[in-house]
Amino acid sequence: MADNILELKNITKVFPGVKALDRVSVSIQRGTVHALVGENGAGKSTLIKVLAGIYHPEEGEVFLDGVKVDLRTPYESQQKGISVVHQELKMSETLSVAENVFLGNLMYKGRIVDWKGMRKRAAEMLRELGVPMDVTVAVERLSVAQKQMVEICKAINRNCKVLIMDEPSATLTEKEQTLMFNTIRKLKEDGVTIIYISHRMEEIFDLSDNVSVLRDGAHIATLPVANVTRDELVSMMVGRAVAHDYPRSGKTPGEVVLEARNIKRKGVLNNISFQLHRGEVLGVAGLVGAGRTELARAVLGIDRIDAGEILLHGKPVRIDSFRKAIGLGLSLVPEDRKSQGLVQIATVSRNICMVNMDAVSHGFVMDAARERQVSQEYVEKMDISTPNVETEAQYLSGGNQQKVVIAKWLLEDSDIVILDEPTRGIDVGAKSEIHRLIVGLVDQGKSVLMISSELPEIVGMSDRVLVIHEGCLVGELKRGEATPERIMSLCV
Amino acid sequence: MSQLTAGRNVKGRLSKFTKDYAIVVAILLLMVVFTFASDYFLTYRNIRNIFMQTVSVAIVCIGQAMIVTTGEFDLSLGQNVCLTSAVMAYLIKFAGFNPWIAILCAILVGAMVGLSNGLLIAYAGIPCFIVTLGFQMIARGSAKIITNASPIAGMPEEIKWIGRGFIGGNEYGFPVSVLIMLGLFLLFMFITQRTKFGRSLYAIGGNKEAAYFAGINVKGHRAVIYTIAGALCGISAVILVTRLDSAALTNGNLYEFDAMIACILGGISLAGGRGKIIQALFGAIFLMLFFNGMTMLNVNPFVQDVLKGVVMIGAVALDVVRNRRR
Repeated sequence: MADNILELKNITKVFPGVKALDRVSVSIQRGTVHALVGENGAGKSTLIKVLAGIYHPEEGEVFLDGVKVDLRTPYESQQKGISVVHQELKMSETLSVAENVFLGNLMYKGRIVDWKGMRKRAAEMLRELGVPMDVTVAVERLSVAQKQMVEICKAINRNCKVLIMDEPSATLTEKEQTLMFNTIRKLKEDGVTIIYISHRMEEIFDLSDNVSVLRDGAHIATLPVANVTRDELVSMMVGRAVAHDYPRSGKTPGEVVLEARNIKRKGVLNNISFQLHRGEVLGVAGLVGAGRTELARAVLGIDRIDAGEILLHGKPVRIDSFRKAIGLGLSLVPEDRKSQGLVQIATVSRNICMVNMDAVSHGFVMDAARERQVSQEYVEKMDISTPNVETEAQYLSGGNQQKVVIAKWLLEDSDIVILDEPTRGIDVGAKSEIHRLIVGLVDQGKSVLMISSELPEIVGMSDRVLVIHEGCLVGELKRGEATPERIMSLCV
Repeated sequence: MSQLTAGRNVKGRLSKFTKDYAIVVAILLLMVVFTFASDYFLTYRNIRNIFMQTVSVAIVCIGQAMIVTTGEFDLSLGQNVCLTSAVMAYLIKFAGFNPWIAILCAILVGAMVGLSNGLLIAYAGIPCFIVTLGFQMIARGSAKIITNASPIAGMPEEIKWIGRGFIGGNEYGFPVSVLIMLGLFLLFMFITQRTKFGRSLYAIGGNKEAAYFAGINVKGHRAVIYTIAGALCGISAVILVTRLDSAALTNGNLYEFDAMIACILGGISLAGGRGKIIQALFGAIFLMLFFNGMTMLNVNPFVQDVLKGVVMIGAVALDVVRNRRR
């Protein structure tokens, strides 16, 4: 009988439009390193946030040491012995290492704060972890790896029983990783249970005892790593069956409309070249942070490029601002619908007409009637569900908001449409409508560059797929060659 | 059925109107109260006076309202009025400029101060609080240098009518300055409500990032509105100097705050993206009525300052509550 320190039973967490976690039940054995894997958006982060007391599940129970616990705030989670080292470290940058370790948990000598004692203890703890450092320096002067160590120290200092690490290795150098792994093994010896999230298969097989796979918010399997191969794990992550049928354009891609040659941006993009054809959907796959969005931004003149050139219809162009890119017939449906795609407090009509104001104005003067009429047309054509065009965008559902974002580029009539995660956080029905819209664009002879973390979508929609990994183009797959397994194995 | 929905629509519109223009109701209430409290209040002379006193601050309100619409504010406006007053008076009295050229120069100086604000805020990315506070001091200092800290009085007759003239006789005529103010309000209401430029302002105020991703020249628009606000300070100064017949360091004092209070009272959201310029005019009228009435009722002026503070915090509290309900 396994000794479980943590048991999750039927955890369900719903966000507007999506089920982020669907009756997830996982047991974590005491004193093990437990890996948590899955595609982007599979629900790993949501699950962690539930354990951290940040999200509150609609259903389900958490048992810690066999006792049912209610994790309502991060503080409560920490008090009960669950600590998280987040991917984006949240620390008091200007305070010293020792101060951070004891933050919110100061040592006292009588009624007076015992700084000397805390410095001594912090230094001891870091030495034990195998990373001695000067505990009086400000945290802002540390490397990411060192900061993580300080966070781990902070967790241990709070008597943590379960330490959750969200992709700790993503930003570390190889040497730092080795150090980090040694620390993890050391913690395990000391009896700390570790939940470890990573995309890197090598690490998972190297470090962990058990592994749980999540997919689309559902728990797929939990098993000892010794009983599973890398390929089996990948196919569990992506799922075998493609969820639904993807619409296809009858067109065959034509001539090259957009070409990027050796695009470089220091530390982000490394020598990327690609061609986009007329009437083509070019998928861009890769993990979050691999450089996909950055590639789109570089092409669109939002971020400066250090080297390389961009050709439109065979002619070199200098795109130094996004406005210029729009003028050249490029467009972007940005990654973050809420903060980048829409003016939430503006009406549907104003959002739709925001890019191509010329279409609904005479000179400088807006034609309000025409504006309403044009918006109404798009609302009907795209089946946007809204009380009327004067409703503020914030009151629409995610899928309908995304349609509004796409509508403004349809009105602008851009030749090249770049979509960044066009269906993230959107329910299945709206998703396939957006897929049909994309195919509609291609049918009109436009070209689409689609960034997506959803492998079935990438595979189902794209004529070709670019795979980006750590700022490099690591593969270009044609339709037929591109399978979720193949893409996944290129990006891990 | 259709009648039912129509009825609901009218009701909905009415409730939206009263929410957006609660200030109008407040103005009417205030007028009723003061009419009962003082015999002199509801006379054409007094009302005309109140409006003429409102003009200079109301014109500054136009600029402030546009800036508030984009989610920012300008603290230099009042001292910009002071500086441009000094420039105009100095050029006329001591540099022998043609009064009309001097007026043009004053407006240009105002615009230049605004442009400097705008460039530093939009392009250099320095917070508006810092930049405009800095220019508040720069403008005040410059005004002191120009006037040597003493008032410059005695404007030529040919321009006095701007601030003091009436159309249709001195007794019951309509003030020229009020006409100019109304003209400016109409112009800028048109610009903000009916033009591409105005649409872009609201988009920027609603969400700067989304406006950028819609291809709106966010930086350019922000720089332009500070410039317009500066030019309006110049116009405000021209009316103020010709009305008072003097450029003194007290000209325009605290106008930036009065304009902010007017925007807030009028119901323009400090968060940006909501509200109409006309609401700021109503806010300004309310303020002027309030203090005119207080003075008439012999309320201690020091107490009036305290009340001003109370009114402003009250209005912001109202704004916060309204936003929370959304």
